[in-house]
Amino acid sequence: MTKDEKKPLEQTLGEWKRFIYNPGSGEILGRTAESWGLILLFYLAFYGFLAALFTFTMWVMLQTLSDETPKYRDQISSPGLTIVPKPPGALEFSLNISKPATYENYIDAIKEFLREYEGKKQEHLLQCRNGTFFEQDNIFPKKTCKFSLETLGPCSGLNDVNFGYPDGNPCIFVKMNRIIGLRPQGEPRIVCAVKEGTEVNLATFPKDGRLDLMYFPYYGKKLHNSQCLKSGSFLQESATTIKEPGELSTARSCSPGPVSELQPRSVNRM
Amino acid sequence: MRAAEILARDGPNVLSPPKETPEIIKFLKQMIGGFSSLLWAGAVLCFIAYLIEFSKDKSASLDNLYLGGVLIVVVILTGMFAYYQEAKSTNIIASFTKMIPRNALVIRNGEKYEIPAEHLVLGDIVEIKGGDQIPADIRILTSQGCKVDNSSLTGESEPQFRSCEVTHENPLESKNIGFYSTTCLEGTATGMVINTGDRTVIGRIASLASSVGHEKTPIAIEIEHFVHIVAGVAVSIGIVFFIIAICMKYRVLDAVIFLIGIILANVPEGLVAAVTVSLSLTAKRMAKKNCLVKNLEAVETLGSTSIICSDKTGTLTQNRMTVAHLWFDNEIYQADTSENQKDQIFDQSSATWTSLSKIVMLCNRAEFKSGQESVPIMKKIVMGDASEAALLKFSEVVMGDVIERRKKNRKVVEIPFNSVNKFQLSIHETDDPNDKRFLLVMKGAPERILEKCSTIMINGQEQPLDESSVKAFQDAYMELGGLGERVLGFCHLYLPEDEFPDNYSFDVESMNFPTSDLCFVGLISLIDPPRSTVPDAVIKCRSAGIKVIMVTGDHPITAKAIARSVGIISANSETVEDIAKRLKIPVEKVNKREAKAAVVSGMELKEMSPEQLDELLANHTEIVFARTSPQQKLVIVEGCQRQNAIVAVTGDGVNDSPALKKADIGIAMGCAGSDAAKIAADMVLLDDNFSSIVTGIEEGRLIFDNLKKIIAFTLTKNIAELIPFLIFIIAGVPLPIGTIAILFIDLGTDIIPSIALAYEKAESDIMNRKPRHKKKDRLVNHQLALYSYLQIGILQSVGGFFAYFTVYTVQGFKPDLLLYLRPLWENDSLNDLEDSYGQEWTKYQRQYLEWTGYTAYFVAVMVQQIADVIIRKTRINSVFQQGLFRNKYIWVGIASQIIIAVILSSGFGSIPVLNFTTLRIQYWFVAVPYAIVIWLYDEFRKLLVRHYPGSWWDKTMYY
Repeated sequence: MTKDEKKPLEQTLGEWKRFIYNPGSGEILGRTAESWGLILLFYLAFYGFLAALFTFTMWVMLQTLSDETPKYRDQISSPGLTIVPKPPGALEFSLNISKPATYENYIDAIKEFLREYEGKKQEHLLQCRNGTFFEQDNIFPKKTCKFSLETLGPCSGLNDVNFGYPDGNPCIFVKMNRIIGLRPQGEPRIVCAVKEGTEVNLATFPKDGRLDLMYFPYYGKKLHNSQCLKSGSFLQESATTIKEPGELSTARSCSPGPVSELQPRSVNRM
Repeated sequence: MRAAEILARDGPNVLSPPKETPEIIKFLKQMIGGFSSLLWAGAVLCFIAYLIEFSKDKSASLDNLYLGGVLIVVVILTGMFAYYQEAKSTNIIASFTKMIPRNALVIRNGEKYEIPAEHLVLGDIVEIKGGDQIPADIRILTSQGCKVDNSSLTGESEPQFRSCEVTHENPLESKNIGFYSTTCLEGTATGMVINTGDRTVIGRIASLASSVGHEKTPIAIEIEHFVHIVAGVAVSIGIVFFIIAICMKYRVLDAVIFLIGIILANVPEGLVAAVTVSLSLTAKRMAKKNCLVKNLEAVETLGSTSIICSDKTGTLTQNRMTVAHLWFDNEIYQADTSENQKDQIFDQSSATWTSLSKIVMLCNRAEFKSGQESVPIMKKIVMGDASEAALLKFSEVVMGDVIERRKKNRKVVEIPFNSVNKFQLSIHETDDPNDKRFLLVMKGAPERILEKCSTIMINGQEQPLDESSVKAFQDAYMELGGLGERVLGFCHLYLPEDEFPDNYSFDVESMNFPTSDLCFVGLISLIDPPRSTVPDAVIKCRSAGIKVIMVTGDHPITAKAIARSVGIISANSETVEDIAKRLKIPVEKVNKREAKAAVVSGMELKEMSPEQLDELLANHTEIVFARTSPQQKLVIVEGCQRQNAIVAVTGDGVNDSPALKKADIGIAMGCAGSDAAKIAADMVLLDDNFSSIVTGIEEGRLIFDNLKKIIAFTLTKNIAELIPFLIFIIAGVPLPIGTIAILFIDLGTDIIPSIALAYEKAESDIMNRKPRHKKKDRLVNHQLALYSYLQIGILQSVGGFFAYFTVYTVQGFKPDLLLYLRPLWENDSLNDLEDSYGQEWTKYQRQYLEWTGYTAYFVAVMVQQIADVIIRKTRINSVFQQGLFRNKYIWVGIASQIIIAVILSSGFGSIPVLNFTTLRIQYWFVAVPYAIVIWLYDEFRKLLVRHYPGSWWDKTMYY
C-alpha cells in the first residue's frame, strides 16, 4: 500500500521537475527560451503601449485644468472646521490640572499651531481693512493680510504661555478650512455652546467668534504666496477660544451649532 | 382485511425511487462548493477584523461587519439560486417519470375490483388482457393466447407466449411467470401476484442499476479546474500581498482587510449563477428540440461526446416494418420507405403488378382500427402483425381503400400463417362479374412459395418456371436478403370454374383445393427503414469526429444493411468478411487493418478479452454490434471509455440502465423507453430520434464555446477589481474601489451580459471539428486566463485608474499628491488635509470624494465591460462577421449594465454602506477611449489569428 502511494508522489515530483526544466525540449516552465523571449517581448510592447496610452490620456486630462483653481469645488462647498489641539478620541478632551502630563501635549500643539502667526513672521504682510473682502482679482502677486494674535485675547499665548491649561481654563482653537474663492455673506462667526451638563463659562475670541471678512477670499496655493498660508492671514484660521473655569473632565465641545452658523448662506465663487 | 395487512407489511407495489440525496445536503453542498468556501473565509475574516477592532475601540466602524454580512448574503443567495436551478431541472424529469396511475383488475372475495396497481399485495389474483401492463410479478393461472413483450427485461424482441406450465427452473426463462412492467400484447390471462414493488425482478434490476457508479461530468471537472485556477490566483496574490503589507508596516488588521479585498476581487461571484443559467437556457432549447436534459451538466457532456453507441430499432430506424423492395417481371423495384411514403415511383403499369397488388391486398388479415378516417395512412393504428401492417399500409397508399376492395373480393376461406406451414393462404371471389372463378392467393417464405409453383408471371403472362427464372428468383432473393430485408413470396391461382363452382364448399382441414402448381407472381421485401433524417445526422457526426457505433439485438445482416443505409458503415468501406469475399480468400488471411468496418455479433463479443475489444474499437472506425444482449452494452461502453472517449449511449430497456448509468451520458428513449431507463439516463430523447442526439451535440458544443466566452468576460474585470487593492497597498493612494462596488459589478452589472453570451450563435460550423479532448481542450486554458487577466484586464484597470485620477484631479487632488497620501487621507482626526491647490478637506469631505472615486472607477469598469462583452461575442471572427445585432440579448445586457449603474449613481447608491455618489455626466465617458482601444485591440488580435493560423500569435492569443 505504502509503495503504491509513494510512487505517484515521486511521479508528481518528477513531473514538476520536468515542468521547471525539461532537458529534452529545453523547456523552462513549459516554454522554450525562445518562446519565453517572445512572450516577454510581447508583454513589454503591450505594456509599453498601455503606459503610453495612459500617459497620453492623463496629459490630455491635465491640459483641461487650470493651475490656479480646481475645476470643481462642489464637494467642499461648506468649509470644514478643525480643532487645535486635536483630542485623542472623538472630540473629547480630558485633562487633570494637577497632572501636567495630561495636557502638555495640547500646549505644545497650540504653540506649534500659533508659531506661524508670530509677529516676526508676519512683518511683510499687509495690514488690511477690517470688515470688507480683500478683493485682489487683478493684483499680482496676491497679498496676504496680517493676523494679529492680540485679537485672541488670553489665548494668544502672548501673556499666558500655557494657554490656561494649568488654571483649568484651557484654550481650544477652532479653525475654518480654506476654500478657494469662498466669500461668506453677512458676518461669519463661530458660535460655541455648551452641549450638556452644568452651565460653564465660555468665552470666545475674537469677540463673538467673529471671522473678519478681510481674510476672504482665498485665491489658491499657486497665486497666494504659499508661506502665508498658515499665517492666519485668513480668518478661516481665526481662532475662537473657549475658556472654561475649573477642571475639564468631560466633553465641552464646540457643538455643531457654530458650524452651521458659520456656513455662509451662499458662497461666492471667483 | 387480509390484503390491508399485507399491504401494511410489504408496502405499496411501486418501485422505490433511487436513493436521493436529502434536500438539505444538496442545499448545503451548493453553499460550500466552489467559490463559496472562499467567500465564507472572507466573511469570517471580516467578522474577526471587526471583533478585533471592536475589542480595541467600542465605537469601531461597522463597515467590516456589514461587509461580512453582505458576503454571507451573497453566498447564501447564489447557493439558493444554484439549488433552485438544480431543483427545477430535477423537477422536470420527476414530473416526466411520474407514472400515470395504473389500475389493476383484481379478484378478491370472489368479486372483481378495479384498484390502483400500487395497492396490489402478495397472493392477489389479477386479470390481464392485451394492451395491459402487468401490474406485478405474477404466476399465470390461466391463459388464453396470452403473449407478452419481455424485451425491456430480457432483450427478446419477439412476443413470448405465457401459459400455466412451469417450463424452466429459472423464473426468467419459465413461461408461467409474467413480469412487472412488461406488457401483455394479446390474449388474456389470470395470475397470482408473487412479488410486489422492489422485490419484483424489475425492482431488483433497478436497484442494481443505481449501484453502478456515475462518473463526474466533464463540465463539472472543467469548472472545478477553473475554480482551482481562480482560487489559486486569489489565495496566492492574497498571501503575497498580506506579506508585503506586513513588511510595509501596515497593521495586521489592515493587512487582513486587504486580504479580504483581494479575495473578493478575485472571486467571480456571479459566475456560478451565469453558468447555471446558461446551462439551463441551453437545456430548455434542447428540450424544444426533443432532448430533455435531466442533469444540467449533461448539456455540455453531450457536446464533448466522441462516441455514440446507438440502438438501431426506433432510434436509427422508424420502428415499423415497411415495404422496401418489390421483385416482379425479373426486376427489382424500390419502394419509398420515407416516413410518409408519398412517392411510390416504381413502374405500376405491368399486368404482373396488378396481380401482385391483388395478392398483397387480399392475402392479409391486418385491418385499420376503426375511427381513424382523418389520420394519415402512415399514422393509422393497425391490428395485426408488423409485416401485415406494412403490406396493408403499402397497398392502401398505392391503391387506396383496401377495405372496400376486400369487401368486393369476398374472402371465402383462409389459412392463417403459422410457423410450420410458413405460408398464409386465402380464397376469394373476384370483383369481376364476368369471371366466376375463385382466386387463391398465397404469401409466405419465398422458398416455400416457390416450391408450390410451376409457373411464373412475366409481364402478365404465365410462363413455365424454368431454370433461368428460378435462377433469377434466387438472385433476387439473395440480393434482397443481403440487404437485411425480410422477403415474402407471393403467388396465386385462379381456380378453374368447372372444378370449383360458385357453391363449392372449401374446407381448410381437408385442404380440398390445390396448393401446388401455382403461379409465382413476385417478391416483396420489408424492412424497418432508417429514419430519413438519420443519414444526414450520421454524416454530421462523422464530420464532427464522432464515432457512431450501432448496438442492436437484431440479426447481423439486417444490422449491417441498416448501418450501410444510414452511413454508419460508409459506402466504400468493407468489413473483414467483405474483403475476404472480394479477394476470395479465407477470413483468417485478411489483414484486419485494411477493414475499416466491422460487424461483431454478441457471440463473438462474449469470447473477446478486454484487450481484443480495445483493439477492435481502436482499429475500426465503423463498428456494428449485432445480436447483443443489453448486458453486453455495458461491456461495450466500458471498452469505449478505456479509449478515453466520452461515450453517449442510448437505451430503452430496463436492462440498459447499467450501461446508461456507466456511460458519460446515458440517453433514454422517451417513447419506447422504460421508466427504469429514463431514471438511469442523463437525457431523454422525446422523439426517440437519433438526429435529435446530433442536434443536442451541436447545442452542447455551442454552450462549451459560449461558456468560454462567459468565463473570459467574467475574469477580465477581476483584474480591474484587484489592481486597485494592489496599488492601494503599494502606492498608498486612497482606495480606488470599495468592496461593495466590486460586488455590484460582479452580481449587478455583469450578470445579464454574461448570460446573454449564452445566446451567442456559433462562429463557424462547430460540427466540423473534432470532439474536445478531455485533457487538452480545457474550458479555461492558459491563453484564456492570460489574455483576460494580463491583457484586457490590465487595460481595464488602466482605464479605471484614469477615471479615478480624473475625478480626484478635478476636485483638487492631483495624482502626484495622491501617492503615499494614505496615512494622512485615512487619518480620522485630520480635518484640514491640504489638496494640490491649498484647500483644506475634512475627513468627511475626503470620504465623500473617495466614494466619488469608487463610483468613477465602477463606471469606468462598467463602460469597459460593455466593450468586453462585445469583443467576447467572438473568439476568432470579427464581431462584424458575427453580426453586431444578431444576438439581441447582448444589447439587453448592455442596457442593463448602464441602467444598474445609473440607478446606483443617482440616489439609490447613496444609501449608507453602498457608498456610491452622483457622478457628473461627463465622467461617465472618461473610460470610453479605453473601451474603444479594447475593441480595436481585440479585432486586431482576431485578425492576426485568422490570417496566421498555427503561428505563434495564434497559439498564444487564441483561447
